[in-house]
Amino acid sequence: MKKLLIPFYILFTTALLAGCQKDLERVNKNPNEPTTIQPDYLLTNGIKSNVDTYWGPDASMETSILYVQYWAKIQYPDPDRYIPAATNIQNVWSNFYAQGVEDFTTLAQLGDSLHNPNYKAVAVIMRSWIFQVLTDLYGDVPYTQSANIEKYLTPKYDSQRVVYNGILTELKGAVKLISETDNGIQGDPLLNGNMRNWKKFANGLRLRIALRIADRDYAAAKAVFDDVAAEGNVLLTANDGDVKLLYQSSPNQNPVGRNRETRNDYRISKTIVDKLKALNDPRLSIYAAQPKDTNIIIGVTNGLTPDSASRLGFTKTADAGTVFTATQAPAYLFTYAEQLFILSEAAQRNLISGDAAGLYKQAITASFKQYGVVGLVVDAYLAQPAVAYDVTNYKKSIGEQKWLALFGEGLEAFAEWRRLDYPQLKPAYTGVLNGKMPVRLPYPSSEQALNGTNYKAAVANQGPDLLTTKVWFDVY
Amino acid sequence: MKYAKRLLCLLPGLLWLQQSIAQEIRVNGVVTSRTDAQRVPGAIIQVKGTGHGTQSDADGKYTINANLRDTLQFSFLGFQTAFVVVSNNRIINVSLENSDSKLQEVVVTALGISREKKSLGYAMQELKSKDFSEAKETNLVNALSGKIAGVQVTNSQGNLGSSRIVIRGETSIAGNNQPLFVLDGVPVDNSQLGIGTGRDFANAISDINPDDVASISVLKGPNAAALYGSRASNGVILIKTKTGKDTNGGIGVTVTSGATFDKLLILPDFQNSYGQGNGGQFSYKDGKGGGINDGVDESWGPKLDGRLIPQFFSNGQLAPFVAHPNNVKDFYVTGYTLNNGLSVGGTNEKLDYRFSYNNTKQAGILPNTGITRNTFTASNTFRITPKLTLSTYADYVRSAADNLPGVDGRRGNSVTLQFIWFGRQVDVSQLKNYKNADGTDYNWNHSYYSNPYWIQNENTVGMLRNRFLGNARLSYQVLDWLSANLRIGTDYYQDRRKYKVAYYTNGTPFGSYTEDAYTVGETNGEFTLNAKKKLGSDFSLDALIGGNLRTNQFEQNYQQAPKLAVRDVYTLNNSRDPLISTSLLTKQKVYSGFASAQVGFRNYAFVNLTARNDWSSTLPAGSNSYFYPSVNGSLVLSEALHIQSKTITLLKVRGGWAQVGKDTDPYQLVNTYPFNQPFGALPQLTVSDKFLKKDLKPEITTSTEVGVEAGFFDNRARLDVTYYNSNSRNQILLADVSPTTGYLKKLLNAGEINNHGIEVMLGLTPVTTRSGFRWDVNINYARNVSKVIELDKEGFLNDYVLGSSGNIQVLASKGKQYGALYGKAYLRDDQNRIVVNADGTPGIDPNKKVLGYYTPKWTGGINNNFSFKGFNVSFLIDTKQGGSIWSGTNATGMGTGVLAATMPGRDAEHGGLPYYNDGTKNVQLPDNNATAPNGAPAKHDGMIFDGYTADGKKNTTVISAQNYYKAVYSSNLNESAVYDASFVKLREIKLGYTLPKSLISKWKLQAVNIALVARNLGYLHKNTPNIDPETAFNTGNGQGLETLQIPTTRSYGFNLNVSF
Repeated sequence: MKKLLIPFYILFTTALLAGCQKDLERVNKNPNEPTTIQPDYLLTNGIKSNVDTYWGPDASMETSILYVQYWAKIQYPDPDRYIPAATNIQNVWSNFYAQGVEDFTTLAQLGDSLHNPNYKAVAVIMRSWIFQVLTDLYGDVPYTQSANIEKYLTPKYDSQRVVYNGILTELKGAVKLISETDNGIQGDPLLNGNMRNWKKFANGLRLRIALRIADRDYAAAKAVFDDVAAEGNVLLTANDGDVKLLYQSSPNQNPVGRNRETRNDYRISKTIVDKLKALNDPRLSIYAAQPKDTNIIIGVTNGLTPDSASRLGFTKTADAGTVFTATQAPAYLFTYAEQLFILSEAAQRNLISGDAAGLYKQAITASFKQYGVVGLVVDAYLAQPAVAYDVTNYKKSIGEQKWLALFGEGLEAFAEWRRLDYPQLKPAYTGVLNGKMPVRLPYPSSEQALNGTNYKAAVANQGPDLLTTKVWFDVY
Repeated sequence: MKYAKRLLCLLPGLLWLQQSIAQEIRVNGVVTSRTDAQRVPGAIIQVKGTGHGTQSDADGKYTINANLRDTLQFSFLGFQTAFVVVSNNRIINVSLENSDSKLQEVVVTALGISREKKSLGYAMQELKSKDFSEAKETNLVNALSGKIAGVQVTNSQGNLGSSRIVIRGETSIAGNNQPLFVLDGVPVDNSQLGIGTGRDFANAISDINPDDVASISVLKGPNAAALYGSRASNGVILIKTKTGKDTNGGIGVTVTSGATFDKLLILPDFQNSYGQGNGGQFSYKDGKGGGINDGVDESWGPKLDGRLIPQFFSNGQLAPFVAHPNNVKDFYVTGYTLNNGLSVGGTNEKLDYRFSYNNTKQAGILPNTGITRNTFTASNTFRITPKLTLSTYADYVRSAADNLPGVDGRRGNSVTLQFIWFGRQVDVSQLKNYKNADGTDYNWNHSYYSNPYWIQNENTVGMLRNRFLGNARLSYQVLDWLSANLRIGTDYYQDRRKYKVAYYTNGTPFGSYTEDAYTVGETNGEFTLNAKKKLGSDFSLDALIGGNLRTNQFEQNYQQAPKLAVRDVYTLNNSRDPLISTSLLTKQKVYSGFASAQVGFRNYAFVNLTARNDWSSTLPAGSNSYFYPSVNGSLVLSEALHIQSKTITLLKVRGGWAQVGKDTDPYQLVNTYPFNQPFGALPQLTVSDKFLKKDLKPEITTSTEVGVEAGFFDNRARLDVTYYNSNSRNQILLADVSPTTGYLKKLLNAGEINNHGIEVMLGLTPVTTRSGFRWDVNINYARNVSKVIELDKEGFLNDYVLGSSGNIQVLASKGKQYGALYGKAYLRDDQNRIVVNADGTPGIDPNKKVLGYYTPKWTGGINNNFSFKGFNVSFLIDTKQGGSIWSGTNATGMGTGVLAATMPGRDAEHGGLPYYNDGTKNVQLPDNNATAPNGAPAKHDGMIFDGYTADGKKNTTVISAQNYYKAVYSSNLNESAVYDASFVKLREIKLGYTLPKSLISKWKLQAVNIALVARNLGYLHKNTPNIDPETAFNTGNGQGLETLQIPTTRSYGFNLNVSF
């Protein structure tokens, strides 16, 4: 009896263990999140979350938009005195890389595996846009080794030249991939799946970057303009092609609108108010809101001390206009006006053939139209000597007008102001940079611990990790 | 067949015959206590090996029937168990030794196995009921602080909330470092759910009522706890609950009643010379910038000299600007704990039973905070037959709170935030009527804060936790040396929380309402076979083999109405925006097989072996099975070498080696895609920011320990020294990685950390007299040295981030001690002098530096205990030496000018230097009476930072005190707010009195104890201004950071215990 039982026991135990093994695997299946993904859901998330970062407190409101003196702070003015908060710097970096670059890298791979090159093209365009913003802000950044964690746990920093050249090549490739007739894409709140518009956006970015590098590498810049022309100059042709994200009601509201729901920290900068007033610019009443207690639009000087800032009075100074602070206000990534300013400068610098002054006027007109200002008032504005295109100093003409046109787009304006050195801004009143202005963001301090060796190499290549260290494109 | 039946029928008769052949005799005697010669009532006298027993009566007398050569076992709580073999002498008087003399002490070890302490090859310490039930810490963890070598407890904030316990330092770089809690052999949960929600929820072990606990054994590391497997690498805390045997005789009813009152121990030292404002200016209009600096939440304003200024309460009228020195202090209330309990218990031949009920009502020191806990327990042991025993334990705990204190410095729920960003002139008592007629709040500030009473009364978080802990054990004595045990235990609770944020709360104008519900469960089924046998005359064997099946389940359902539609109605239906909902479900299963054996030789040499294999669901198939053994031994030299004498009462050496494997959390193998809220009609999925690992291996901790135990001079000096060395490798780390990898975290499987250290316990009895006076001193000392050996195999990572606050991070860095505070430091020149900027402020090094380590160099405690007759007085002093803490309270309070430490330099009276501004820079004036040229105003709040300019000259640039303190305590400079966290604390004073038997027996009482207890009386020494160095954010590993802590408390109370 007992002897008979022994094989039974063995059998039973083996069966039990095998059963247990299966059971254990079943228990460890994650019931909370899917293990596969479809491209449209990822695309929506990539667009929404990265435009949020681009337009939100970290990359814009607490940093670039103050540095270019679009806005100023009336409360907690440290960021406006060039003391950026560690969390803001960290968030720009973390969000753009871990949400942006990674999401779009995954989407590009999905485009391949699902044989839908349009998803891949869109992913590459969005990722290139993110890299452009990152390198504009920080200078040298990880590019070639980024978003490949299995191979590179500590990605090296690439020089800014490598990054710009890399994304120019990627954008060119993306444009080539696009099919306007088949392979429709879903989940695109930016351009609603219109692949021709994606082509226009990609080409616009290529020209934007070409100008960025033109002071360093004219030939490379020229090659980009030539390429785009050879491909048929598929560019924005009207305001309705502006690349913008239309925000919705809460909880999908514009980040600026979200801020204004509970906070009252920002005002329009005195610098831009003064400029708009000096030029009788009709955009003044759009860019700025009426103060509560007066009907005079008064801006706030950048970088005031807390007491002098608040002494100006919350109700006597103007915030940015509701076009920017409304819940459903759009966030602009690339506009027809900017396209025309690019072409104007390109014509001026013989990157293309064309009428620089004419394009300049068209650019200003497009900017007005963007805000619904049309008709005689535009002509009157353009007729002013202070507005007229100055062939001897295109940097001043284009720099000032582009700055006025880009109001709200803190990141692009911050890059273009550094490149053109116009408008000539005065440093914040109590800025802490010994009379200098910020020309980049420092790297997040966590990189020192998490990617120390490469961080040190980047600092050695680029210069001290300070707000005042110029990035590569910023020659003058 | 007929024969057989008859034979069976005869059997009972035969057995009876056998019994009667053994000569049964009646034994009687008196049980007394050796230390005070008092008679011991309620002592349990059992005939060993039978279920047969009795108790001593009120006079300590007993009578029992036993056979010759039977062993009588005398046991009573707090005393060593004594054994006497029945001889012809029918009167056996026994004098019981206090159990702390540790000679024949029997202790509970892993899996509930009782072992003689001398047979153990590792250090363990046990606390008896009276060590923690008199002092009445409601959080059981706190009762362990200072009493056990190598145990570090980080206290709660305020008088409610969580406490963290770590034994022998951190063995896990990233994971949980707190020990496993085991209640009567069944693991129980000690999670702190809801970290990061801005409320300090108490850790789950605080559900246990100290009155129900008979003893707590601390198994300090893998060597002692290897049998518990996976979760034992941080040690185990074994809790043994009281049973029917733990009663004092009589009818077995015990009533306890206690009250404790909590007062502030440490409150920041505020200045009362300057009020709200900036640059000396202030005038109130609307509290959000409409007046002069009236939105400013700092105290750099005008002097509090009674000048007339419009203020928040004066409706635009002028009112005297004066100090209210106790404005913050008066906001706090006296906290209290009322504790009332009743237990009924008893024992007879068939049954031990105990039922208890306890009600603990705690009120916090913040207004309108508190928690009420009701505990019901039933503990029964049924001796069904002499061989079959069933033990059951059931504990139902209901913890309910209407509001718990807010932490983390969030403006919607933390009042400590606004008290450190404050106008020092504000009279908080004027804020008590916090609501205006239109429902908005009435406050001194409207730019950032809501009224502090509003925060306490409107923005509440309630919780209700229903918890059931239970186990049943069936034990069958198969043979007289072999028993079989089956145990099933469960710990199950539901914890529901309701967060309310009122309409018109600053920053949340529509308010919000959140419901968060957790369901947590763990079930263990365990089967063991235990063998206990004498092998010949010299050897003994005590062995066990068994298996365990553990299932864990965790569920969270979170729903939020992010903006209320209608005010004051708190329901999820009342929402303006779509609800935000998440749900989470995790499951885990572990199968285990284990065995252990103890071989004893002549009762003085012992070898213990254990082995365990786990199969865990959290690891990948193929590597989810892991085996780990342990071996340890003890040699009682004093017995082996026959040197036992009055001088050397005990000399024992021990040593051991152990390995423990550890699995991980569920779902760490396959990458998944988390959901984000849909963008309109478009659903959103994203790539997770965590990169997981398909081929995880279990963590392995290997530990060696050796020790010596000795008793001298009739055991009046007792020494226990342990050295240990433990190495944990293959650590599973969810490490922060550079976001440029595309991820924020990556799961690594390579971390290695080493901990080694020494623990010393020294017990002395300097005085003991015949009259019963006894003085005991117990000293403990522990030093742990940790070193992070490796983070990842490839060596890319040098630092693992444990926690952070702004720019300061807590790191585990390769090659360094665990817990580095890594932050922004002063810029220093090559002579290590601080470099001062051109504007007179100190320079900041762009590279972060290690500013200290939170892990202490050593910890220790001294407990003095005096007893005489029924009186007992003890006081406990404990200390932590070394270790640093970064204080957010100080960093903020210095910048906002509310702390008294910002007074130096603020005016001439406080040493401020005279100067004026010539339009571009500050120029120092020769003396206070000097006037500035060109009519520029002379100022008297000048300070010069003690440092050197970039070109090596002594700094002479004058800056205002406000700019000075703002620069030195800027959020971009952490070094200035890092302090030495060393302290010496008077932890506890107890005065206990046990009424003499002779007195109470007249009242038909069995025992009456009265205790007066004071805890956390004060610091004899500390180096952290304005804060308590002991507190922390939460129970995680990111310790060493303090920010806006709720003041800790000192408590006084009394406790009464009456047994009928």
